[in-house]
Amino acid sequence: MTTQELDVKPNGPAAAAFLAAGIGAFVLGLTVTLHEAFPPVEGQTAFWDFAKNFGLGTGVGPLSGKVISGTLAYIVSFVALGLAWRGREVNLRSVLIVSAVLLALGFALTFPPIFTVFATE
Amino acid sequence: MSLTDREFWAVVHGLILGTLFLLAFSGGFVGIYSLRERLLTSEGVAERLPRMLVGGWAMAIVAWLTVLTGTWIVYPWYRAMPSEGTTDLTAFPRLLLLSEPATSAWHTFGMEWKEHVAWIAPMLATSVAFVILYYGVQLARRGEWRRPLLVYFTLAFVAAGIAGAFGAFITKAAPIY
Repeated sequence: MTTQELDVKPNGPAAAAFLAAGIGAFVLGLTVTLHEAFPPVEGQTAFWDFAKNFGLGTGVGPLSGKVISGTLAYIVSFVALGLAWRGREVNLRSVLIVSAVLLALGFALTFPPIFTVFATE
Repeated sequence: MSLTDREFWAVVHGLILGTLFLLAFSGGFVGIYSLRERLLTSEGVAERLPRMLVGGWAMAIVAWLTVLTGTWIVYPWYRAMPSEGTTDLTAFPRLLLLSEPATSAWHTFGMEWKEHVAWIAPMLATSVAFVILYYGVQLARRGEWRRPLLVYFTLAFVAAGIAGAFGAFITKAAPIY
């Protein structure tokens, strides 16, 4: 590969990595908030308790489902966007803005004074 | 001089991996920060790249290991429930914290924030490490990436820092034995 070829390496896959981080953080924050807004009925296992519902660990509780969902969203969007944008040059500024907004929402929705606003109990 | 099984994993999760995370962040951050094409020769860029790659990927891997050990090994001990009639809550840190108004916020605010925000760190660190790997030496000519890489790398550190700080305080208030 020559220097000239290296110079035209498209930004698509790298942009995909950054957007995926925003998506993963946002989905994580969203699941945290959804768990607060829709708690399980008395005596029932929480939907997000993947440890108990799917045997993914012991005693982790609803945290298991929240972090697995966030991580899966990150990995799936990373791979999907990476493939879709493979060999393509994308508008980096737009991607970074969307990623930053999603990331900010992700941080905000994992902050207790914010997600407890949606709590029903 | 000995550690229980639980103390051992708490040390691995908080102290050993936490220290490695700090070291990796320093190496990676300095590498990215100093990556300015006009200040570097091509040999200089090539010399910095391995350090950035090691710093970036080490931080990403350590961050994943930290959240995985924290969530699936240490956290279940933290939130364990005692059998009926138990009065000594020493072995049940979550309930011990919640039993006193003076300490309950360590759980309702500290732990609730820590256990969630920590998971943002490995995603950010992995994305940064991927971009460094993807562009390689060419990254020095990609000035538009320098600031986003620094910001995301620093945010990964901030997320882990919040979790680490609360982890230390909570362990002090209600240790896992």
